[in-house]
Amino acid sequence: MADIIRDTWLRRNLLRELVVRDLKLRYSQPFLGFVWAFLTPFLTTVVFYLIFSLFLKVRVVGVPFFLYLASAIFGWGFFQDSLLGCCGSLVNNRNILKETKIPHYLIPLAICLANFVNFLPSLVVVIILSVFVLKGLSFFILFLPVILVLHLFYAFGLGLTLAVIYVRWRDLRYLTESVLLLIFYITPIVYPLDYVHQALPGQLFLIYNLNPFVGVVNVYRICLMKGFYKNIVMEKLLFTNFIWPFVFAFFCLGLGFYSYFLNKDKINDYLAY
Amino acid sequence: MTTLPINAKNSNLSQRQRLVVELERVGKSYSLPKEGGRMFVHNSIWALNEISFCLYQGETLGIVGRNGAGKTTLLNIMAGVLSPNVGRIKVEGRVVSLFNLGIGFQDELSGRENIYLNASLLGASRNEIETKLADILDFSELGSFIEMPLGSYSQGMRLRLAFSIVANLNFDILILDEILAVGDVLFQDKCLRHLVELKQKGKTIIFTTQSMELIERLSDKALLLEHGKLVFMGAPGECIRRYRQLLTNEAFFVGLPSDKGDFFENTKKWTEDFTQWGKVLGTQEAEIEKVVMFNRDGQPITQLEPGGFLKIRVEFAAKATLKNPHLGIAIFREDGAYVYGPNTNFDGIRLDELKSGRYWMELDFFQVNIAPGRYRLSIAIWDKDECLPYCYHCARYPLLIIGENKDNALSRVPFRLKNKMFFWPKPKVTLILQDELINFFSHQQDAVDYDSRYAVFKLLKVLTRAKRYPDKIFTAQPLELYLDFEINNRNRNQFLWLGIFREDLIFCQGNLIKYRDFPLSLTFPSFDFLCGTYFLSFGIWNTANRRFLSLHHGQHKIKVLFDRPDHGTVYLRHLWRFSWQR
Repeated sequence: MADIIRDTWLRRNLLRELVVRDLKLRYSQPFLGFVWAFLTPFLTTVVFYLIFSLFLKVRVVGVPFFLYLASAIFGWGFFQDSLLGCCGSLVNNRNILKETKIPHYLIPLAICLANFVNFLPSLVVVIILSVFVLKGLSFFILFLPVILVLHLFYAFGLGLTLAVIYVRWRDLRYLTESVLLLIFYITPIVYPLDYVHQALPGQLFLIYNLNPFVGVVNVYRICLMKGFYKNIVMEKLLFTNFIWPFVFAFFCLGLGFYSYFLNKDKINDYLAY
Repeated sequence: MTTLPINAKNSNLSQRQRLVVELERVGKSYSLPKEGGRMFVHNSIWALNEISFCLYQGETLGIVGRNGAGKTTLLNIMAGVLSPNVGRIKVEGRVVSLFNLGIGFQDELSGRENIYLNASLLGASRNEIETKLADILDFSELGSFIEMPLGSYSQGMRLRLAFSIVANLNFDILILDEILAVGDVLFQDKCLRHLVELKQKGKTIIFTTQSMELIERLSDKALLLEHGKLVFMGAPGECIRRYRQLLTNEAFFVGLPSDKGDFFENTKKWTEDFTQWGKVLGTQEAEIEKVVMFNRDGQPITQLEPGGFLKIRVEFAAKATLKNPHLGIAIFREDGAYVYGPNTNFDGIRLDELKSGRYWMELDFFQVNIAPGRYRLSIAIWDKDECLPYCYHCARYPLLIIGENKDNALSRVPFRLKNKMFFWPKPKVTLILQDELINFFSHQQDAVDYDSRYAVFKLLKVLTRAKRYPDKIFTAQPLELYLDFEINNRNRNQFLWLGIFREDLIFCQGNLIKYRDFPLSLTFPSFDFLCGTYFLSFGIWNTANRRFLSLHHGQHKIKVLFDRPDHGTVYLRHLWRFSWQR
């Protein structure tokens, strides 16, 4: 563990260059440049708002649906982009890995950090919106950094695992895409949690809540929206919303490094083709 | 064009004390996906085998060899990009390497941005890059191009940038892979001068090239690789001479046999006549004067370890003109079992005639996969039809393979193990067999097919490169044994036993394998048993109560074919060399 932290610290310059490269490649050529960091999430929100609020008539207690959607969907976007980016990252960066000795995990880490940096501006927009619409901020906003770090652990840990496996098993990318789509719909991102509570009987609802992303999404909302915590307290979901994501984040991180250290000597052999 | 001080070599003698690179019996195998593309099933190819050498600080090493000889793999291992499968490597100091034209160059970014990215990939800190930036820009002579996106650069310009970055950073060891081939003469010259300067500063440089001129000029030591083996390491002049010889003598190399052509099913397995042992036979038209055995480093030896390198040098004189002579060397075990006997005829080498004079021949065995024990060598110079030897020294030269071999096995053909699961660690192999196990097999004549309720045999598959269920197995080709047992009480005293017996019940080789779980796959990178029929014996042995929980002995036969009628049991890869005049 100490080794990982020390190696990463020694290579912090490389990490920064990789993140900068990623962001530069993303925004240096389009005419609108960094504006897209705001524009893409905005457009996504509009699409989902149209479908779920206007056509399907989804309603949420206490907060406007637009805000409800925006508070979770950007975080999801960050997670999804990171995972899909990480999945092929070792293979796509083989020209780097095959020619110089760097710890492989820096590459998924750089991708996650780049996506994270990309995600922050939209988060600021949501906070500003929330202040105006709900006339104030929640006290829980102080916990936002904690959930951001946990979410980063999710993305990096799972991303590293996928990247390592993808080196030998190239079917994984398609599988990841499908599984991500599934998780997106079994997590209350575009619909409120009480719809699920009504639809599923007691036991099933608890199992539903074991999905570690439910907790993350809810904590985001509690942090970002004033008064939202009442919805969660009503459901009595202390464990699944707060402790379980915490545990799962460290599990992801552990899984990532476990799979990396088991295979690190073999990765470069499989990058040749 | 180039004017280099000749005495640039051998400067900095005082700094030569510190070892910076040390390799010990390093081997690297690549696995390539099998045809048909089944998941997790791979062939392995040994790109490097048994490489050992060391390098002191301030030395420059040039590596030569033909394409595919393993040069780049060796550099990759030294740069830490690849890890060796076997052996030990130690590299001290900061390594900077340049393999292709620029590591992680990004076409969309400008030259300057690429300098930052590339240098940080090579491990430079922000501070270092800032201070070296002027030097790098200056050295590259790219001028205003440095602000242009890299996509607009030519190959030569990329090389300029890449080399400028690498050469100007702080490092202890510089690794260059055939990079000076591109670039104009002026820049090449500049690079060379810069490399000489670096040398004088006491940096260690390792490079590969096809230019013999560069080797001669720059390097203190040179290393010749051929088919993944270290053929020579030493003075550059000598190395170049050997390399040229290798290029012209290529026809004599004996590679892997092919699947095509006629096949032989059986060969001689025993010596004919013990009474002749130690005698000198033949018409004496030729005279074998001296037989010496060497190890890899050229030291004369009389004993070696299993799997080691062995060179046999025979000096002989022809007293009359010899018509179509064949040279042969045979290895026998002391009990008369024929281990291996290659000869130039089997290997397809034709010699028309030898005029009277003095000659030498050398036979290199790259890996003597023979079990420890006492062996004897026969040396023969035969006539055309191999009926009348010109000179035959029958079993005259003793050879000792050192190590423990209680079970009197014949071979030590290496194999690798893996569980089919991706995440699980590799199982371990032990060679130390228990006395009870050895006794058991010394009394066991009949086939056994026995399972207990603790262990039940489920499946054995023999897989080769060509087909999944082959009816033919060829000598010296990869072979995979896929074994499955159902184990009902797992405990750590249980080992998987795998033995190979020749059809006359001579014990070829046996191992106890500490397994983690079944199914288990055993891969022989090269199944080095000569043509004939072999029995497999496998089971679960309990080391605590010393009996088999399951044993399947003599049920499974493997019939091996070979396209050459080499005598003996164990195939050893070898290379003949000879010279007309001594």
